[in-house]
Amino acid sequence: MIVAEDLGKKYPTRSGPPHWVLRDVNFTIPSKLSVGIIGRNGAGKSTLLRMIGGNEKPSTGSLRRLSRVSWPVGFGGGLLSSLTGRQNAKFLCRIQGRESDSDEILRKMQEFADIGSAFDEPVSSYSTGMKARLQFAMSLGFEFDVYISDEVTSVGDAAFQKKALAHFKSLVGKAGLIMVSHSESTLKDFCEAGIWLNEGKAHWYDKIDDAIAAYKAT
Amino acid sequence: MLSVWKALLLREATFRLFGTRAAWAWLIIEPLAHFAFLTFLFTVIRQRSVGGIETPIWLIIGLFGFFTFRRTANQMGGAIDSNRGLFTYRQVLPFDAIIVRGFLEGLIMVFALGVVILIMALAGYDVMPDRPLVTISALFGLWLFGCGLGLVIATLAEMVPETREIFRMLMMPLYFVSGVIFPASAIPVQYRHYFLWNPLFHGLEEARSGFAVYYHATPNISISYLYLCALCTIGFGLLLYRRTSVAIASA
Repeated sequence: MIVAEDLGKKYPTRSGPPHWVLRDVNFTIPSKLSVGIIGRNGAGKSTLLRMIGGNEKPSTGSLRRLSRVSWPVGFGGGLLSSLTGRQNAKFLCRIQGRESDSDEILRKMQEFADIGSAFDEPVSSYSTGMKARLQFAMSLGFEFDVYISDEVTSVGDAAFQKKALAHFKSLVGKAGLIMVSHSESTLKDFCEAGIWLNEGKAHWYDKIDDAIAAYKAT
Repeated sequence: MLSVWKALLLREATFRLFGTRAAWAWLIIEPLAHFAFLTFLFTVIRQRSVGGIETPIWLIIGLFGFFTFRRTANQMGGAIDSNRGLFTYRQVLPFDAIIVRGFLEGLIMVFALGVVILIMALAGYDVMPDRPLVTISALFGLWLFGCGLGLVIATLAEMVPETREIFRMLMMPLYFVSGVIFPASAIPVQYRHYFLWNPLFHGLEEARSGFAVYYHATPNISISYLYLCALCTIGFGLLLYRRTSVAIASA
């Protein structure tokens, strides 16, 4: 469960008063519900997602994570290119406090990434697609209660995309999913409920279709 | 938190030791080459002993003391910037990255010093300090001061991006006024009190005086001054960190 109370986020501007991206936002996301966040560019979708992920602190109000929330699925940073895929993945196991069963997790990641022996080669030798595969596999290697995703529709080649989407689908119902996407079909595929961000306010819709309709009406 | 530190330490260590070809060797070769060159200059051209300590030993203490300080400060100073990608994992805080780098740098310097001392001992030099605790506490103080300065650099650089370049420029003159390659007794008495403002000067002289009771250290050398400076910079660094930590995570 994720609870936002009077959540607000402001950024300083070069001229004059700060810009409030979000203001007085209240919502409760129940466990195991998949939620799509929509809104136009600059409406604060990614900001909200970063706050849910714990990468950004709210300026006002509070956001409570009462479950284990992932980092953005397929997130690109933090790979050290001189280390191997395995070493990078092992680092993640350690910071997640899962060193004891890391063998099992690593095996799962390696299988999912499906990059063969390159898993034990330095990341600097990877192609863009292989890197994306590794990153995607790394974020799905742990069992989180809630996965967050910021525009992660195009990963790797067609085969991998299919596999990734299938895996994502299998998570729906078992774990929560909070995603930001501009693709209507992706949102409809994955999400039940929707949050529409408009002019700093968040509007909750129990059906994603209603959220999309409201977004389109403006 | 401990598992995060362990993870970061192993990651950084793997990178520092095996990141590039024979990276581990360069960590030791760099100060060693510096040391060998200066030893040659000093012993062959100038003098066999400084203030009662054999010149190579005298140089090693000075160089390692100073390098410990400089490397720690530089490494910690860059910790936030080079680990920025990791802060997306909310388990990793900028502070963890800074702390781990300081600790790792300390470990590397202890190891490097160990290697050099071993070589010197095999070459027949007297490497055992008369008062080991004095030398160790002085070197530790230099490391601590490096940590404090590193913390300040890392956090200040978030507000003022030029910070690292400025401090890197300052390191060179600092090398020359800290008594690394000349004894305090070489400074004319009427100017000596200017040098005493520099905490590194205190640390290096103290480390050497621990080596030989008969070492003619400058009067007014005070190890507590070094520790005071270290504590002040650490305190200041923590204040700066508090001020910047919110901004770092969101960058």
